[in-house]
Amino acid sequence: MSDHFAAFSFVDRITAIEPGVRGRAVFAVPGSIAVFPACLVAEAVGQLAAWIAMARIDFRGRPVAALATETIFHGEVAPGSRLELEVGIESCDDDAVAYSGAARVAGVQAIELKHCLGPMLPVQEFDAPEAMRERFELLCTAGAPGERFHGVPVPRLVGLDGVAGKSARALLQVPRFAPFFADHFPRRPVFPATLLLDSQIRLALDLARVAIGAAATAPLTPRRMTHVKMRSFIAPGQEVVLGAEFVAADADAVNLRLSASTAGRVVATARLDVGAGTV
Amino acid sequence: MANTDITKEEIQAVFPKVAETMADALGCDVEDVKLDVSLIEGLDAESIDFLDMVFRLERAFKVKIPRGKIIENARGDMPEAEFEQKGVLTEAGLAQLRRYLSEIPPERFANPMKVADIPRLFTPETFCKLVIHAQREAPAPA
Repeated sequence: MSDHFAAFSFVDRITAIEPGVRGRAVFAVPGSIAVFPACLVAEAVGQLAAWIAMARIDFRGRPVAALATETIFHGEVAPGSRLELEVGIESCDDDAVAYSGAARVAGVQAIELKHCLGPMLPVQEFDAPEAMRERFELLCTAGAPGERFHGVPVPRLVGLDGVAGKSARALLQVPRFAPFFADHFPRRPVFPATLLLDSQIRLALDLARVAIGAAATAPLTPRRMTHVKMRSFIAPGQEVVLGAEFVAADADAVNLRLSASTAGRVVATARLDVGAGTV
Repeated sequence: MANTDITKEEIQAVFPKVAETMADALGCDVEDVKLDVSLIEGLDAESIDFLDMVFRLERAFKVKIPRGKIIENARGDMPEAEFEQKGVLTEAGLAQLRRYLSEIPPERFANPMKVADIPRLFTPETFCKLVIHAQREAPAPA
C-alpha cells in the first residue's frame, strides 16, 4: 500500500459536513499499533479542519499548522479505539483557516483544540490538487480503507544540558527517511508539527518530574498546552534543539515553557501544564 | 480609510488591552509594549507573530480584522502599479503610506522603500488603529 493518504492520515470518513462551517468524521485507531499519542489525536482534529477548509476554497490552498491557542488533554486514546472528530470553522478564506475542534471516544472527550489558525499555502506545493479532490470525495462517501496507519517511530532525544528541575535541552534528530514523509507531504516532506510537540512533551515531562521531585515511575501527563506557535517548517534530516524551562508549579500542575530551534533559530514555541496522575 | 481621523483618546482607550494581547502573543512583559516601539526591531516580532496578534486581537475585541491586509489597506483605492513598482514604493505610494501610518515618525520611512520592509514600521499604535477601524466597521448590535 502507498504511504500517501496512509502513513500520516487520520480521517477515515467524513460523516457530516457543512462546507466551510463545521464537520464531523471518524478515524479507527488500528489495534495493531503500540500507542496512539495525544498529539496524533490533535493531528486528526486538525486534518479534519484542513479537509473542510480546503474544500471551502476548492483546493487552491492547504492550511499548515501555525497557531494553537489552547489544547486540553482529557484522556488517552487506546489503540483499537474509534475516534469521533468534530470541528467548527471560525473563519476560512484563501489566506487562513481558524477553527476549534474536539475528539471523543465512545462519546467521552479525549482532546479539545481551541482557536487554532493555519495559514493557507498553495496546495500544489505539497500535493496534487486533483488527488486531494479525489480523496476528499472518497472520505465523504465510502470512506478510506482502515488499518492504513502503522504507527510512527518515537525519535530518541539526546540530552544536551540543563539545570536540574529548572531547564533542559535535548537534541531531536529528525529522520531523513520515514514513511510519514510520503504523506506529509508528497511534494514537500515536512516533519509534522504534532510529532515535534510530542517530543517536546516528552522532554517537558522529564523536567517536570525532577522539578516536583516525583519518582521516575510516578505518572505525569500533559494537561493543557497553550501558545503553540510554529514559526518554520522542519525538513527531513534536520537537527532540532528542544528546550524546556520550568516556570511555576502549584498543587495541580507544573507550568513549563517549550521551544525548538534549528541552526540557532527558534522554529516553535509553546507552554505546557503537566499534572500528576493519569488524565 | 485614512488613519488620521482617529483621536489620541480612542487610541488610549484600546491600548491597554492591545498591549496585554501583544505581550501574550510575543511572550514579553506588557511594560515592554510601548505605543511607538517597532514590533520587529524592538520586540523581535516575526510574520507569524503578526498573524498571532491579529488572531488574538479579534477575539479580545470581538471584531473581524482582515489578516495580512495592512498593506492593502494602506494602498486603499490607489492602483497597485501607482503604489509600487517591482517591489519598491513609488513616490505616490510612499506618500500614501505616510498618510496611512501617520503615527510613524517621518524619519523611519526609507526612500526608496521596499514593500517587504513596510512591516518594519508597524508599532502597537498601528494595531490600535486596526482595532478601532474594525470596531467602527462592525455592524451595530441588533
